[in-house]
Amino acid sequence: MASKFGLAGGIPERRVRPIWDAIDSRQFKNALKHVSTLLAKHPNSPYAHALKALILERMCKLDEAFSVCLNAKELLFTNDSLLMDDLTLSTLQIVFQRLDHLDLAASCYEHACSKFPNNLELMMGLFNCYVREYSFVKQQQTAIKMYKLVGEERFLLWAVCSIQLQVFCGNGGEKLLLLAEGLLKKHVASHGLHEPDALIVYLSILEQQAKFGDALEILSGNLGSLLMIEVDKLRIQGRLLSRAGDHAAAAAIFKKILETCPDDWMSFLHYLGCLLEDDSLCCAEAVKDPVHPSKFISCKVSHLTDEEFDGQVSNALDFVQKLQADPVNNSLRGPYLAAIEVERRKHLRGKGNDDSLMDAIVQYFCRFGHLSCFTSDVEMFIEVFNPVKKIELLEKLKEYSDSLTTLPVKNLGQTFSFFKIQQLLMGDMFESSASELEVCCAQMAEIYCKSVAFSKDLDPQESMQGEELLSIICNLLVQLFWRTKNVGYLVEAVIVLEFGLAIRRHVWQYKILLLHMYSYFGALSVAYEWYKSLDVKNILMETLSHHIYPQMLVSPLWTELDSLLKDYLKFMDDYLRESADLTFHAYRHRNYSKVIEFVQFKEQLQRSSQYLVARVEAPILQLKQNSDNIEEEQGVLESLKCGIDFLELSNEIGSKSLTFLEDLQSRPWWTPTSEKNFLLEPFEGISFCPRRISTNERETSCKRMIEKRSLVPRMIYLSIQRASASVKEIVEVNGSVSPNICSELKLLLERYAQLLGFSLCEAIDMIMDFPSGERFSEVVGPNLIDWLNFTVFLNAWNLTSHELVQPDEKESTPHTWSILDSLLEKYILEKVKSMESEICSSWSDVQLLIQIVTEPLAWHGLVIQSCLRSCLPSGKKKKKSGSMDHSSYSLVHTITNSVQHLSSIIEEILRWIRERENTPEDKNVEYIISSFNNNEQDGGPGQMFRILESFFSAKDGAELGDRISQSLESWSPADVARKIMTGKHKVLMEFSKICESKLKSLRSMKQQIAQL
Amino acid sequence: MTTIRRFCCNDLLRFAYVNLDHLTETFNMSFYMTYLARWPDYFHVAEGPGNQIMGYIMGKVEGQGESWHGHVTAVTVAPEYRRQQLAKKLMNLLEDISDKIDKAYFVDLFVRASNAPAIKMYEKLGYVIYRRVLRYYSGEEDGLDMRKALSRDTEKSSIIPLKRPITPDELEYD
Repeated sequence: MASKFGLAGGIPERRVRPIWDAIDSRQFKNALKHVSTLLAKHPNSPYAHALKALILERMCKLDEAFSVCLNAKELLFTNDSLLMDDLTLSTLQIVFQRLDHLDLAASCYEHACSKFPNNLELMMGLFNCYVREYSFVKQQQTAIKMYKLVGEERFLLWAVCSIQLQVFCGNGGEKLLLLAEGLLKKHVASHGLHEPDALIVYLSILEQQAKFGDALEILSGNLGSLLMIEVDKLRIQGRLLSRAGDHAAAAAIFKKILETCPDDWMSFLHYLGCLLEDDSLCCAEAVKDPVHPSKFISCKVSHLTDEEFDGQVSNALDFVQKLQADPVNNSLRGPYLAAIEVERRKHLRGKGNDDSLMDAIVQYFCRFGHLSCFTSDVEMFIEVFNPVKKIELLEKLKEYSDSLTTLPVKNLGQTFSFFKIQQLLMGDMFESSASELEVCCAQMAEIYCKSVAFSKDLDPQESMQGEELLSIICNLLVQLFWRTKNVGYLVEAVIVLEFGLAIRRHVWQYKILLLHMYSYFGALSVAYEWYKSLDVKNILMETLSHHIYPQMLVSPLWTELDSLLKDYLKFMDDYLRESADLTFHAYRHRNYSKVIEFVQFKEQLQRSSQYLVARVEAPILQLKQNSDNIEEEQGVLESLKCGIDFLELSNEIGSKSLTFLEDLQSRPWWTPTSEKNFLLEPFEGISFCPRRISTNERETSCKRMIEKRSLVPRMIYLSIQRASASVKEIVEVNGSVSPNICSELKLLLERYAQLLGFSLCEAIDMIMDFPSGERFSEVVGPNLIDWLNFTVFLNAWNLTSHELVQPDEKESTPHTWSILDSLLEKYILEKVKSMESEICSSWSDVQLLIQIVTEPLAWHGLVIQSCLRSCLPSGKKKKKSGSMDHSSYSLVHTITNSVQHLSSIIEEILRWIRERENTPEDKNVEYIISSFNNNEQDGGPGQMFRILESFFSAKDGAELGDRISQSLESWSPADVARKIMTGKHKVLMEFSKICESKLKSLRSMKQQIAQL
Repeated sequence: MTTIRRFCCNDLLRFAYVNLDHLTETFNMSFYMTYLARWPDYFHVAEGPGNQIMGYIMGKVEGQGESWHGHVTAVTVAPEYRRQQLAKKLMNLLEDISDKIDKAYFVDLFVRASNAPAIKMYEKLGYVIYRRVLRYYSGEEDGLDMRKALSRDTEKSSIIPLKRPITPDELEYD
């Protein structure tokens, strides 16, 4: 039954080979020809059909491929005399999988396995199908069958992993673990274990049931020798002992690890935890966020008596000193940092004092202060000090620093560290005066210059020490800008970093800071260029694209946004598709512990907040791009199944738990998450810029946002339908409007209103009140776009429902329409008029303007297009009568007004853009340069740049090296200023194109009206 | 101050700091996952205090007969943690596993011919240039195949340099 020698799926291999070759060389047409010939000879061969399906799928003929696949399946099921080999089944499996019908692939294998119950190859194929479907119970059953059949260890472990998956990722209760343990125990008793990872899984099953003693017994028995890396074994042993409460024995194990690996920081923390009988580290490991682990060491105040505590601390110190004394360990940071940690524990217990902890840190500075990692090494310890003590520590470090007579390079390294720790100790210097900040920046700029001269011979690929100084200077300049609102500081921050990148172009920290500053200025195309230069790809898109996404989502750079979204979604979808196959890889290579890890990791990515946002925003972008043409828009909506899938997402999102996988550490201080930008708020001091953001809060607001946004495609669809139905209702007096559209739209309006925090009635009241009161403006606040969108959909719904027609209204055209027009006018013109003409002002108002035009205004335009299209006589149908009735006339009148209204608003925006663009470039550049080049001796922006400029212009190639001198020769601040201008210009031009296109569409609507 | 442990999937979400370095390649997911699924002993990460990822090494073991060898696919250290011999520690770990657990004959790696600092470092770690692979990197730059013999290769015959350069299609393994 398996493929026999020379046969492929029961067909002689020589006949199949040309098809394989053609597929491999992507000559699908040719392959199809060959397969047709083959099918003529073997019309009932499932394999030949499967091959045809495979080829059709590769040619993107999905429906045909599916139907041929079903034929093949049918043949397999009906003809018992046929061969049922793995080649046929796996070919079918591939096609079914690509067509998203994993269930059918599994059913083929199920059928085969039922016919040949003892065939291991087929059973493995079936197991693989279940792995792809994440059907853990079926996986377990199949694996057990295989295990019973051949008694192999691997199949038992496949079953055990499937059980663990039910417990961790499915609905299985923890009791199942007992079953897994029983299976393993029985197997071990009769056959032992042979794979290291089998042992790891066995131990984890015991540990998960808190059977630490049993696990330890197994580890110290014969099976323990399976773990070949000694330190891995010791770590497990130490953890088990500690969790079992045998702290002394655990401490001894961790001590043993440290004797061979004295730099193993985690083992030291465990060692100390065990001595002080504090298992918070072990517990924390189990529950902490594995993607964003805390920077700080979890520990609690020891419950030991004073005497016991002193004794254990002195044991720890003795051991640490012994490690330090070993000349081999002289350059290792571990034992010296350990001494600080012991002091910190004493301090927490109330036993130590600030001085000894400070001394330990100073000692560490003395030995390792020249290393770049000094500040991040000690960051977690200085949290213990109050602000006064922090200043004291800084003074001590300064005192030591000043007394240095070491080698110049080492000395320079310590100076860098001093500046970095100064930032940390002084809380980014928010308490310091502006002039103190400037002095500090100036010092750093001078040191930076020195370090460049020192590093002139370094390979340009290598990072240069002291590069961080320019980042710190930039951070302080941005702070000065926030405090003083003097934009010169912000321009100077940009110039300083651009200068740094001219010296060495690979500093990613500068690029990230720059992209955020360019975004603030609205020079988004430059921000995007810097983002591209970071080469963010694959998994980095998940962790780093938050730097650019939020700005791009509300920008007119649709081509760039489209490519960002497509790349990211492709990456995620590809990974999610391949993930199960990779898990099967882990099963096959007997790395069982990776199986659980892979499945959990995939679940994490699947629930990524960013992924879900991108899934909603990608179709909304498409809808924006096509909104000027209702036919095209309807094509897009059809491809989106009229928004039904997104509705489902909206319904499900509430019950999902989202993950936030972004690497927020790399964000600048002024925007700790993508939702927050302090520069847009008044200066409030450090207490208003917390670095730690509650994930719960983010999750709630993100879920609400996704829930709301995923309603939009469906609401657009329904609004279009509703608008056209409304006209038909008026024109064809007896015509009926589909009640489903009406009630569904109302239901969605209710949900949308709820997401804005109101009932539908309240929301409607608020909108109806708009002409008379200020309440609307007060309430909408940051949700302006949502409210405007809501009003657009409300108006569409109201076109025929008449629920909102006020008693005194005689007109049958709704009042909501005129309110909507006024709302759009008010907010657009308000933005246009209020926006500062200054080149360097914040871009947030422009962003809002762009959003109004590209969303609510665009959707409203679609409603109008839909009404108009229905009013117009279509090619075949003739208008019923020569004259319009009152209702139709009224509607046409409203549309005419509205089109006129929207046209004049758009023209106003275009005028505003033209005015901004009319200023000569040189004048703008001059203005930007003058913002920081004030030549004042007593402070103000520009000093740092002057320090850098004068240093570098005074040096020649011999002092700076040819590479640096040459790269600076062509560099000028005017080029940077021009870059800001060009960046903004490009964005405005894109916006202008969008407006032009809207205007064109409105003009054609006017022409259509004229035909009525 | 450095905890070296097996690399796990979640580290992929935490290594941005290391991978933003322009010389460190970020591969596609199936590449990382295949290494994790097949050679988890050859994929290690170094973690510093505050759980900061300092660097990592990924590799594999492959070949037949006397070409059974460990291979370093990537080794990288974040700039902040350089000049502390971390790469050496990671390399030694991989060599140890190839030598003692898998009983391989040698460890090899590929490096851009222009990457002088890296070549110098590997030489310090005992690697010799075994052969030059013409236009190995994207059909443009030459690669150097560097090797270090392990204890099983008592004669050190695996590292005797080849006299002529080879082309990528002459390579025994990917």
